[in-house]
Amino acid sequence: MTSTETAHVPAVQLDACTKEFVTPQGGSYFAVKGIDLTVMPGKFVSIVGPTGCGKSTVLNMAAGLMAPSQGEARSFGAPVVGVNRRASYMFQQDALLPWKTVLDNVSLGLIMRGVGKKEAAAEARRWLAKVGLSNFEDRYPHQLSGGMRKRTSIAQAWIVNPDILLMDEPFSALDVQTRQIMENELLDIWQESGKAVIFITHDLDEAIALSDEVVLLSAGPASHVVARYDITLPRPRNLLEIRDDPQFVELHREIWGKLRDEVAKTYAAKAA
Amino acid sequence: MSTTTTRTDAAPAASAARRPRSGAARPRSETPAALMRFYQLLLTAVVLGAWEILGRAGVIDTFFFSLPSAIGVAVWDWIVTGFIFPHLWITLQEALYAFIIGTGLGLILGFLLARVRFLERLFEPFVQMFNALPRVVLAPIFLLWFGLGIESKVAFGVTLVFFIVFFNVLQGVKSVDRVLLDNARMLGATERHLIQHVVLPSALTWIFSSLHISVGFAIVGAVVGEYLGAAAGVGYVIAQAQGVFDTEGVFAGMFILMIVVLFVDLGVNRLERYLLRWRPVPGA
Repeated sequence: MTSTETAHVPAVQLDACTKEFVTPQGGSYFAVKGIDLTVMPGKFVSIVGPTGCGKSTVLNMAAGLMAPSQGEARSFGAPVVGVNRRASYMFQQDALLPWKTVLDNVSLGLIMRGVGKKEAAAEARRWLAKVGLSNFEDRYPHQLSGGMRKRTSIAQAWIVNPDILLMDEPFSALDVQTRQIMENELLDIWQESGKAVIFITHDLDEAIALSDEVVLLSAGPASHVVARYDITLPRPRNLLEIRDDPQFVELHREIWGKLRDEVAKTYAAKAA
Repeated sequence: MSTTTTRTDAAPAASAARRPRSGAARPRSETPAALMRFYQLLLTAVVLGAWEILGRAGVIDTFFFSLPSAIGVAVWDWIVTGFIFPHLWITLQEALYAFIIGTGLGLILGFLLARVRFLERLFEPFVQMFNALPRVVLAPIFLLWFGLGIESKVAFGVTLVFFIVFFNVLQGVKSVDRVLLDNARMLGATERHLIQHVVLPSALTWIFSSLHISVGFAIVGAVVGEYLGAAAGVGYVIAQAQGVFDTEGVFAGMFILMIVVLFVDLGVNRLERYLLRWRPVPGA
C-alpha cells in the first residue's frame, strides 16, 4: 500500500498540536502544547518521556481518538477527522474482547470490514501461525499468558494491514525476558513491511533498540518536544546483543542525560 | 400465614447465597465430600426424627406443625394422584412468562436509557420511585386489572424481574471498558458493530450473572401472586390448605416448591456456566 506514490508524504504529521482539558474546577489543563511530529512511511519512531508527560495524548491525536485543541493532525496528507482509518492501535491495557476466542478476536477487524467469515478465519489462522499461537485459536483471552495476549493483539492489529501502527507501551506489563522476545518478534514482522510505527515507551533501552528516531517529550503538564535523536544503528538488529554495542551505549548516555532532567522535573513538581 | 410467606421469599435468597460459596477457595485438608454428604443426611434424619417423635409425644402441637410422615404422605398423594402437576405447570408458566417479558423489557429500556443520556436523566426519578415501591402492594391492583388468571401473576412477576435486569443492563452498558470500545473503533467498527461486538456482550454478562436472582424472583412473583388470589397454581394450593387449617397441605406445597426451585436453579447454574464460559473461574 505504501508504495512510491506515498513514500514522500508523512504517514503521520502533527502540526503544533495542543491538547487542552477542562478540569472539574473549571480551569484548563494542557496535556501537550505545540507538539510537532513527523513520521514517514516505513519509519519506526519512539516517543519517550517521564510519566504523565502526555505520550498517550500524542498517540490518541494521531489515531483520531482525540482531536487536538489547536494545531492539526494529518495522515498521508489528509486531516485526521474521526478515527484514523489507516492506523491500528495497540493499547497498553488488555484490549482483546474477553468474550471472543483468540481466532474471533484476530479476525474481528476483517469481519467488520465486510470480509467473509471463512476468508477472515483463514487469514486469522495465517496470522496466528506467524505469532506462534496456532494451537490456541479456541482459547479465550483469560486462558492465555500475558505474552500470548500481546501476540494476539499484534495479530489483531496487523491483520487489517494498516499503514500506521500506534503502540502505547504495549510490552510494559510483561516480564523482561518475554518483553525482549516480543520486541524481537515485532521487529521481524515490521521489517520490510513499509509500515510507519509510533511506539510509546518509558523504557529508553527499548526505544533506542527498536527505533529509527527517538523523540523526547518534556515533563508535563504542557509537555513539548525537547529533542529528537536519529538512531542509525544498522538493521536488521539483534536485540539480545544490541545493548552492548558502543554506538548504543553512546546514544543511551546522551539521551538519558536529557531524559533524566525531565524526570527530575516531574518529581520536583510532584514533591512541591 | 407468616411461615408461608417467609418460606417463599427464601427461595431467591438461598440461590443468591449459594454463589459466593462456589467461588470461595477451600483448603484441601477438609472433610471429604462423600463424608460431608453423609453428615448432611444424618443431620436431616435427626431433625426430621426429632420433629416426628416430639410431635407424636405431644411436645409439638401437630395442628400447627404437622408431622414429617404426614407431610410425606400428602406429597406422595399429590404426586401419585397427579393433583399437583396442573398447579405446578401453571406456576412455572407464570414464572417463565414473567421472566421472559421482564428480561425483555429490562433489556430494551436499560439499553435505551444507557445509550440516550436525555432519557436517562428524564426517567431517573421515576425509576427510583417505582423501584422504591414494595412490589407486593402491586399485586392487588394487578388482580383488579388482570383478574384471577395467570396474567395478573405474570404482570406481578414482571415488575420484580424487570428492575433487576434493567439496573444490570444500565450498569453493564455504561460500564463498558473504554479501551475495548476504542480498540474496536480503531479496527474499523461502525456504531452497529460496537453494539454487536462490544456493548451487547458486555451488558449480557451483567444479565447472565443476575440470572439466579431474576429467575428466583419470577417464581416468587408467581407464587405470591397466586397466594393473594388465584384459581390455580401452587400458591393457590397452599392458600387453600391454609384456609381449611390443613397444615400438611401447606408444608407439602412448600416442600414441592422447594424441590422444583432447586432443580430450576441447577439448570440455571449450567446455563450460566455455559454462557459465561469465557470468563475466568473466580478464585482460580
